[in-house]
Amino acid sequence: MLKFIITLALGFFFGSILLASQAFSWYRIQEMFHFQSFHMFGLLFSAIATSAVFLYILKRNKQKSIYGNEIEVKPKKLEWKANIFGGLIFGLGWSISGACSAPVYILVGLHWKIGIILLAGAFVGTVLFALVERKLPKA
Amino acid sequence: MNAPLPWFIAGPLIGLIVPALLILREKQFGISSSYRFIGAVLLPKIPYFSYQKDGDRWQIQFALGLILSGFAAYQVFGAFDAVVIQPIRDYEKLAVNIYDVKNGLQFFVGGILVGFGARYANGCTAGHCIMGVSQFATSSILATVSFFIGGLIGSFFVNPFIF
Repeated sequence: MLKFIITLALGFFFGSILLASQAFSWYRIQEMFHFQSFHMFGLLFSAIATSAVFLYILKRNKQKSIYGNEIEVKPKKLEWKANIFGGLIFGLGWSISGACSAPVYILVGLHWKIGIILLAGAFVGTVLFALVERKLPKA
Repeated sequence: MNAPLPWFIAGPLIGLIVPALLILREKQFGISSSYRFIGAVLLPKIPYFSYQKDGDRWQIQFALGLILSGFAAYQVFGAFDAVVIQPIRDYEKLAVNIYDVKNGLQFFVGGILVGFGARYANGCTAGHCIMGVSQFATSSILATVSFFIGGLIGSFFVNPFIF
């Protein structure tokens, strides 16, 4: 129950930041891809920099989790074809829908009609991938 | 709600979620695996969906928090997004409300590409761009560059014809 509340709260926090910074918005995504504002770039770069600094500190201090376990951070496996082809497809979808995975959920709460359509689409895409994944080039 | 929260405040706050998730939940930041989890619940017979899904359960709880944030924002501010964001030059005619259901098909197709691409690339903006790039992982840097190339193609060469 505690874990559930922590996770829910972190999700709510993340969503609130994406809403307040308008990063969830279709318009901000188009603005980014058209290089018409620094907003999204600054947001992404500063998020990555902050995360990198904290990952370094966690590692240096051998920080344990609140459950007393070592914190393990593993990079995602390199599968260059999957990373590139999947990335291109994802990017295309990101620019059309103006939403990546988190804003899809935010929109379910904010504009439930378009949000549900998006979530349904993302799920259908996941199922399609599940059906063909063995035939796709990966590494 | 006219001016967005500045990037130099919002970005670091988003970055803080990474250590928070590691310390409080022992989880690496990511969202799109929640779709795989839903698949595992609804369609467990598909091989890709019969996996150790318990490790991804937290993402559904996280997603629930995201939905609640959108719902809360609607209750407090109403449909504040589209009209108050300064129209982007090339999309002025869409400034009224892009989230109208008449654009449902475009959003559905966009959603399919997001879901398919995220699973194929093994991560999305959260897992690759933020979590992965901050570890300097080659896979994530490659994926992030690809996200942007795909996005540029869509935003310049697809969107003007479909919206």
